[in-house]
Amino acid sequence: MFGFNPPVNKVIATGYNLLYQQTRNTFILKRKWSPPLHKKGGKPSKLRARHFVYDLVEDCNLSKQPDIKVILNQFVDGVGNAGDVLSLRPTKAYTHFLVPGLAIYASPENLAKYQIDENKPKVESNYSSPYVQRTLGCLSRLVLQITMSKTQPWTLEPWHVRTSFRKAGFVVPEHAITMPPVTIKGPDLTLQDKEFLVTVKVSLIIFKAFILLQHLQVD
Amino acid sequence: MASSRIQATARHLSKTFKKKTRFEIGIATELPPAYKKFWREWKVLKPAAVHFIPQESKWKRDELTGETLPVQNVALPLKYPAEIHEGIWGGEAVVKGFQKRDPQRRRVPHYWVPVLKRTVVKSEVLNTHLSVTVTDRTIKLINDHYGFDHYLLKTPACDLISMLALKLKKQILTELMNGCPRYMYDPAKQMAVYEEYKTYLTSYTPEEIEWYGLTWYEALSKVAKMKEAANRPVPLKNIYRKNLVEKLKAAETEIDKSATDDMSSTTSWLSKMNPFGKKDEA
Repeated sequence: MFGFNPPVNKVIATGYNLLYQQTRNTFILKRKWSPPLHKKGGKPSKLRARHFVYDLVEDCNLSKQPDIKVILNQFVDGVGNAGDVLSLRPTKAYTHFLVPGLAIYASPENLAKYQIDENKPKVESNYSSPYVQRTLGCLSRLVLQITMSKTQPWTLEPWHVRTSFRKAGFVVPEHAITMPPVTIKGPDLTLQDKEFLVTVKVSLIIFKAFILLQHLQVD
Repeated sequence: MASSRIQATARHLSKTFKKKTRFEIGIATELPPAYKKFWREWKVLKPAAVHFIPQESKWKRDELTGETLPVQNVALPLKYPAEIHEGIWGGEAVVKGFQKRDPQRRRVPHYWVPVLKRTVVKSEVLNTHLSVTVTDRTIKLINDHYGFDHYLLKTPACDLISMLALKLKKQILTELMNGCPRYMYDPAKQMAVYEEYKTYLTSYTPEEIEWYGLTWYEALSKVAKMKEAANRPVPLKNIYRKNLVEKLKAAETEIDKSATDDMSSTTSWLSKMNPFGKKDEA
């Protein structure tokens, strides 16, 4: 008889406070000496000590689990679009996709429900490289600082922007940079700390990047 | 002559004597068949082989002697510690036994304990995430059944073992029976979830769901409580009060009747006297 007084939620809430003996296996065992045969439909005879001597057949925790298939629920950055079938390692699939609800199991019902044909070749995205999404993400967080001279006259040109991009860690070819329609000339301290937009073309995507103009005093 | 007859009677009795089961003693006789069904599913049915590989064939030939012998799978006895009820171990348990590490040495006692880990499971019907203690086998079973709810609902109680799993199963079944009220805010989703899981409701009646996942002690207390609520004693004071009020009412009507009859005929000074009235009135 087992009393289970606290409600279930309370049990779930209790922490991992039990001292379990640390072992590294879950096992399939086999008797070293099998118990004697009993009568058909009868009661098995009482087990002796020797019937409790076991040999380890297999340790399931050490054997490799096969991959499992999941269907993406939504677009996941760097992984795929909604409806893509992924084959993943079970731990990764469970913790990163199934539990957060980014994917569902690729059960026959789900495959039928979402009308997914696994054998159909995947439509390649228009991007020239898989890192496009990541680059765009990085660029969106960037405010590029352009440092210009305070004494020498200048006109802002694509190569200034390219150099500043290189200083910030982005290699941008000059042909990918489109300058704002207004020509920016200096030195002009009214433009100090003002923001402009330049357009950068990343793999067919026109992307607008912020730039921040700053003047530098050279002595 | 007599002694042989006594012996025969004793033999007969010993053969026909049946030990009382737990459902035939005391208040347990009043447990409903719904609970008996759950108890059978939980404690009587044999759990699936987890810690050993059962032999499939019916007969086997001894290689040495050529003798044909029946195959009898005697399960390894398992230990169910109290902690099993606070997690979901997927049928695993503690195996207590011996290891024979060397043929020349004495056997060594050993406990094979499953590796436990704390992880999150997602219940679609309950619309929550739960942090529970599991084993690798549980996660594997959840993946094989395509979801935690499917795993709980498809697996019989003898394989779930733990109280936590059974309580969750009961909660899920109750939720389904009520038509997933947790998805009230999204009727389309509510319908989809109900459609997906409603097949499991066919194997239970509402009464069975009510009695599912109760421990022996809980079931007995439930019976006792129901019994108490059914024949609750009425306080005697209430009965007496009611009787008195009825009596007084009856007397009042009688007095009224007699007063209307007698007032005209006799006017005694006694009839005017009112012991409960004011002093000057009397």
